[in-house]
Amino acid sequence: LHLCRMEASCLELALEGERLCKAGDCRAGVSFFEAAVQVGTEDLKTLSAIYSQLGNAYFYLHEYAKALEYHHHDLTLARTIGDLLGEAKASGNLGNTLKVLGNFEEAIVCCQRHLDISRELNDKVGEARALYNLGNIYHSKGKNVASARTHDPGELPDDVKNALQKAADYYEENLTIVTELGDRAAQGRAFGNLGNTHYLLGNFRSAVLAHEQRLLIAKEFGDRSAERRAYSNLGNAYIFLGEFETASEYYKRTLQLARQLKDRAVEAQACYSLGNTYTLLQDYEKAIDYHLKHLVIAQELHDKIGEGRACWSLGNAYTALGNHDQAMHFAERHLEISREVGDRSGELTARLNLSDLQMVLGLSYSTNTSMMSESHVVENSLNGTRPRVGRRHSMENMELMKLTPEKVQNWN
Amino acid sequence: SQPMTGRQAAELQSKVVPSKQILHSDNMEMEPETMETKSVTDYFSKLHMGSLVYSCTSKRKNK
Repeated sequence: LHLCRMEASCLELALEGERLCKAGDCRAGVSFFEAAVQVGTEDLKTLSAIYSQLGNAYFYLHEYAKALEYHHHDLTLARTIGDLLGEAKASGNLGNTLKVLGNFEEAIVCCQRHLDISRELNDKVGEARALYNLGNIYHSKGKNVASARTHDPGELPDDVKNALQKAADYYEENLTIVTELGDRAAQGRAFGNLGNTHYLLGNFRSAVLAHEQRLLIAKEFGDRSAERRAYSNLGNAYIFLGEFETASEYYKRTLQLARQLKDRAVEAQACYSLGNTYTLLQDYEKAIDYHLKHLVIAQELHDKIGEGRACWSLGNAYTALGNHDQAMHFAERHLEISREVGDRSGELTARLNLSDLQMVLGLSYSTNTSMMSESHVVENSLNGTRPRVGRRHSMENMELMKLTPEKVQNWN
Repeated sequence: SQPMTGRQAAELQSKVVPSKQILHSDNMEMEPETMETKSVTDYFSKLHMGSLVYSCTSKRKNK
């Protein structure tokens, strides 16, 4: 192939790839970029740009192994040609990709490099973006460690707390710069993730303040997805502040926007949150109404885990109302689904609920499965010799535990 | 099966008792990541285009 024609066609293919990715069609964009790489170019900066965009396209397509490969090529190339700004960008992208893959330590090294070069080049925008990336890595790291380990209720383990505190510090540092730069969109992102970090740390008042700022900026931009996110996160924080009425108001706005945005999964989540909030408010009719709405969407989306949760919640609410037949029906469905999805603790919960209901209904409940005999041991060691019918009512006076909200993974 | 210890039982109990932790454990909504972008047009500066055109025409002359 003639060199000039080769260069020109490589450039044309890459430009078409850029156009397609910008238009939101990453899959097609990838094909053109791959073709451009096949043709090849002698211009290493052009090649670096192609690798970088391939990496980002694969990142947005959630093909992280491929994203890693291309961002790594880009980094190698940027170093080879001594392009410092290009190296900073490639390091940042590599760091973000490593974060998603759960490789936090290497991700930190890469994003730190992004930060160092940006400072060296006196690039304020790059510096701010690197700080945001670092905040995200430490947030994920903290969340990841917290959910991988069970710890005693009351306190976050030190390593989790340290990681989350670091995340908060990075977000604050980022906010200082983007506020100076007047970059409202970047402020919005930082406030949202800072709010979520405070939430995990148990600083619910600070979480509310951050999410209120996020909400303000979302409205400024007319960004309804971000607005919906802020409502949902505000609802979560108010739950832990014990202000259930306020939480219900925010969840209702979440639901409204989810319907406007035609996002069924998010709508289901909002209904579930509302059902739980009305349970906390001891308004069981409303709770049932929302849990039924959640159930319908969960079935529609073939979300078995969601369906199981809905049945469990409905069983609880019907029990609280004294409607034992309906409670029984949903407890049985919960047991079936828990078995289906292999949720052992869900299965145990369902069995305990069923045995309580059987007793209330005055039926003799006999079984010789080991699960049931195990659960009797649990009952006996905890509540004396007779299983308590009122155990389920612990939902009515749930106490605020000082744990990370993400700690309990049984329902995931 | 083996009878359970008190601690195991307590652990199980903590699993079966509904709590806010369980109810609101998995719907925290994060903001999107920001990726750094490069473009072939950034790098393929006019200067470079010029030199490419020059090298092409000179190659053609040399043929």
